[in-house]
Amino acid sequence: MKLVKTLSILGIVTAGIVLGACRAGGEDQGLEFAPQMYHSVAYEPLTQITDESQGDWLSNREDEKGEFYNSNIYNPHNMNMREPVENTVPRNKNGYLPYRLKAFELEEAALIENPIELSDEVLDEGETLYLQYCSSCHGAGGEGDGKAGLIIGGVANLKGGAYINLPEGHIFHVITKGKGRMGAHGSQITPESRWKIVHYVKQEIQKQ
Amino acid sequence: MLSKRSLVGVRWNFHTLAVLFFFLIGTQVFAADPAVSESEEAISAGKTVFNANCKTCHKLDQKAVGPALRGITDRQSIEWAKRFIVNSQEVIASGDDYANDLYEEYGNLQMPPHTFLTDTDLDNLLSYIEYGDKVDPAAEASAGGEGGEVSGGGGGIPTEYLTIIVVVLVIVLLLILIVLGLIISVLTKYINKQDLPEDDKEFVSQKFDIGKVLKSDGFIIIVTAIVIALVAKTAIDGLYGVGIQQGYAPTQPIAYSHALHAGTLEIECQYCHTGVEIGKSANIPSANICMNCHTHVQNVEGKEGISPEIQKIYDAVDNNKPIEWVRVHNLPDLAYFNHSQHVKVGEIECQTCHGPIEEMEVVYQHSSLTMGWCIDCHRQTEIAADGNEYYDKLVQLHSDSKDALKVKDIGGLECAKCHY
Repeated sequence: MKLVKTLSILGIVTAGIVLGACRAGGEDQGLEFAPQMYHSVAYEPLTQITDESQGDWLSNREDEKGEFYNSNIYNPHNMNMREPVENTVPRNKNGYLPYRLKAFELEEAALIENPIELSDEVLDEGETLYLQYCSSCHGAGGEGDGKAGLIIGGVANLKGGAYINLPEGHIFHVITKGKGRMGAHGSQITPESRWKIVHYVKQEIQKQ
Repeated sequence: MLSKRSLVGVRWNFHTLAVLFFFLIGTQVFAADPAVSESEEAISAGKTVFNANCKTCHKLDQKAVGPALRGITDRQSIEWAKRFIVNSQEVIASGDDYANDLYEEYGNLQMPPHTFLTDTDLDNLLSYIEYGDKVDPAAEASAGGEGGEVSGGGGGIPTEYLTIIVVVLVIVLLLILIVLGLIISVLTKYINKQDLPEDDKEFVSQKFDIGKVLKSDGFIIIVTAIVIALVAKTAIDGLYGVGIQQGYAPTQPIAYSHALHAGTLEIECQYCHTGVEIGKSANIPSANICMNCHTHVQNVEGKEGISPEIQKIYDAVDNNKPIEWVRVHNLPDLAYFNHSQHVKVGEIECQTCHGPIEEMEVVYQHSSLTMGWCIDCHRQTEIAADGNEYYDKLVQLHSDSKDALKVKDIGGLECAKCHY
């Protein structure tokens, strides 16, 4: 009788602890309710499982790999992302072709005109974009005093004499390709957004 | 009083010595060209020019991105300095040895031309460079010391003080216990000496029997009830946690700190998570985005050398190998979620769902990401219809209602909006 009592008490406590461990925390993702739903069959962005044994226990895949295995063996590093085919030319919905000028071709870049028409809406968007992508180095007012910029050093004061009269094409080119200590931001910001930033810098920061 | 006065005296002497010392050093190293004006007006006008055009790359007495400037008219002629400031590339191209050495020493970094500076500007600038803001080394040392202290101290009570306070409290409580015990024994002894009736004597000398209390029904019932309640709570919490990854905080391949980048340095989320306003995923930045800053920033807190964590970015770039970040937030395939729809159109702050990211050393899943959590927000959140023509008709249709136009009113509770 005493044994049964002890066992039942122990049982309850163990059950409590085991069920308690269903929660996620730290390195532990916790128990999944529908694992096949959390682990996508299709290739997902930002998710890649390279371990072929993951999800062995519920797998009925024809290639005999684990249910959760999700990598593309035909891509470099088995990534799910694929680069565009070589020699193809991407074009965005506004028909923009890729920017062809090289980083040193500043003089040619200076001749390019801003294709985005100036309006209050564009300036508003330009401000948002400027604060997102530029202000951490160039500062909210463009004086080269952003917090990250102070650590990097050598950030241009956009209101300084060397920069205030620069043509719009030059600014667009430097955002795209980088110059001096500034890195290339072409991969982060779409061309339309870059031209909007150019408008904002010219109109509001440099008051030109 | 005496000691105080003598201390002041010592400090004063040290100060004068230091100033004298600096003066001597100064006159030896920075023998500026006598043609450079020492007038206050020239220096202050020069400072304005310097702050607008030079200060992000140059310091007067220390190397920065470019060389320390003070003493330039000693090292070179005034004409040379002016020519170099106005168009350094021209001087370098002319084959000037000093200019070419400098160019090489500072990593072939071009200084933009300053052709817009007038001759007066240049004269003033040189005055400022030679005579402006001379730093008193004693003051510098004390300022440096203060700076260090300020950066060391945080807000609120430091943790070590808290521990000390707790320890002191525990000691005081123990002392009180001991004193109480002593009082009881003294009182018992005193009462025992008195002539007391039998009842009272028994009461005074009775012993506290722990075993009896432990075996009593009341105690067992209370303990069992507490244990069962605790076990039941853990079990129910655990069951509710099935399929919810709230609190998941995996170790990432690089110990990247959002607290430093998004918190201290105030870099906007969108700078790295570039997809958040244009696509379904917010995107994890590729290494080239890290390199925009980390080409130059190689260690934290101004330490020398390359930090092992930052080295991992360089390795990834050198070997063209992706950094395998561990995904934290993951919705099951049965639900569709799109970032741009919420962040760009809905104008929701990142922190609404992701929590205090700017304080996280390691990112953890802040919200539960359950359907109840989504629906709750859809019921309460008003549509950001201002300045968005798309909503004009909906706002008009909704104008009869007393409540504001909310996500639930435009289909935010419909199954097929997210499950399809």
